[in-house]
Amino acid sequence: MTGIFDRTGSVRALAVLRMTLGVLTVVHLAPFLRDARAGIHYDDRFWEPYWSGLPKVPGSLWALLLGVGAASAVLMACGVLTRLTTSVTFVVVAGNLLVSQTHFRHNRTFLTILLFGLVLVPTGRVLSVDAWWRRVRGRPALSDEVLLWPLYLLRTQVSLVYLASGISKLVDPDWLGGIVLWDRVVRYRHHLDPTPLPPWGVDVLTWRPLYLVVAPAAIATELFVGLGLWSSRTRLAALWVAVVFHLSIEVSASVEVFSLGAIAALAIWVTPSSRDRVLRLRAGSPAAVLVRALDWFGRFRIEEVRAGAGDRTPVVVDRDGSVLAGRDALGLVLTRLPLTFAFAVPVVAVGALGRRDATGGSPTSDTAAARTP
Amino acid sequence: MARGCFVAVVAVQVGFALNGYREPHKFFAFQPFNESSTWSAEIVRVTWDGERVAIDESWGGGAYEWNTLVDVAALRDPGQLRHAYMGVGATVDFLDDALDWVATHTPADHETRYLEANVTFYENTRGPEHTVLRSVDREPA
Repeated sequence: MTGIFDRTGSVRALAVLRMTLGVLTVVHLAPFLRDARAGIHYDDRFWEPYWSGLPKVPGSLWALLLGVGAASAVLMACGVLTRLTTSVTFVVVAGNLLVSQTHFRHNRTFLTILLFGLVLVPTGRVLSVDAWWRRVRGRPALSDEVLLWPLYLLRTQVSLVYLASGISKLVDPDWLGGIVLWDRVVRYRHHLDPTPLPPWGVDVLTWRPLYLVVAPAAIATELFVGLGLWSSRTRLAALWVAVVFHLSIEVSASVEVFSLGAIAALAIWVTPSSRDRVLRLRAGSPAAVLVRALDWFGRFRIEEVRAGAGDRTPVVVDRDGSVLAGRDALGLVLTRLPLTFAFAVPVVAVGALGRRDATGGSPTSDTAAARTP
Repeated sequence: MARGCFVAVVAVQVGFALNGYREPHKFFAFQPFNESSTWSAEIVRVTWDGERVAIDESWGGGAYEWNTLVDVAALRDPGQLRHAYMGVGATVDFLDDALDWVATHTPADHETRYLEANVTFYENTRGPEHTVLRSVDREPA
């Protein structure tokens, strides 16, 4: 365990997470702010403290703090006084969660945990007004290398969330047997009826035996994500499954900002090193502009080269020095850019499997595309 | 410091996860969508002269309505069979607390002695089961 407390790495992916969570925090606080602006405070209606001995936060102070929290979240997203604004945002979101039992939601707790993790890391060193202002004043840029133990803490917590959820369902016979999931779908059938689904499709979705398979599959999904994210061999697959899993939750349940927050939180599983892969592109190629715009996690150092006749581009020189060219390189790039990740992973995986079959199971250069993100 | 923080946070998280197996609200235990139970409740105000008045209508001279006083989605419209999306245990526990809160936060109501809820629930389609909840007694006007 000593290793993780000494290890350093790039904070860039967490800076992207910070920017996303800033926006999501504003969205999360918006309904509370609407009430507060209408003069409705949390204690005007039924509320329940977690512990009766806690001092009661006056409603007017609560309303004021919500405004401070929302403003702080905007500044946090922009990276203004990043450490301070991240801390204030965390305190307000946590305070609003803890002010009343009626404010408790798993998704709000998840957001609070993520913000707590960001408080522990100087994410303002990159992708921030703080960093820009430092450059403007002629000061040397701070290194994006930071101690990584808060990242590992976040990874542990996020993993525990998936595992706690999956295990609680696994040990519940009603869940494992499909009753819970099936009954929820039947109960909300009226939401299915107006969709473009044909009547037989709705009948299939509300067919009890289907959930003898679907429920264990849902549990296995959560457990796979919770465990699979830890191994570099399974991480890419676990990330992709997690994206699909969260999108399916978003479609089927009301979970506030959880789905987007959980997808954004997948950034913590990005290898914490930046610009350690070289992407060679033909000089003047619009792909260079595109990759620079989409490479939020700083996966690639782009070199624009004058290609000779017969040269294949793009070319990627991976972390271990291996060289990928053409389709393999393109696959690796697309599976490492956040916006193309979800579409590229299955395509690359199917392509790699197809080529593996064609070569009788011997490794192909495409297999490199399944390495760590 | 870092080690202490790491261990403490993980221990607390695991503690909450385990606590969720005994505590109905499953606070911070990350056990979402854990049930598909349903519930309904017939809630009445029992007046000082023993009359039982349904809370379907406003009371206290029109000052009070259940859905306004108890603005928690899980507890709204209790007369209809509702999905207990947070689990039936948590819903009943909140309803019990809500009865007390309403009883003690309705100063313009001079009639009511206490509130009572006859709760019917189905836990993951099994049931029905019944329970009766009663608020604290209010001070006489």
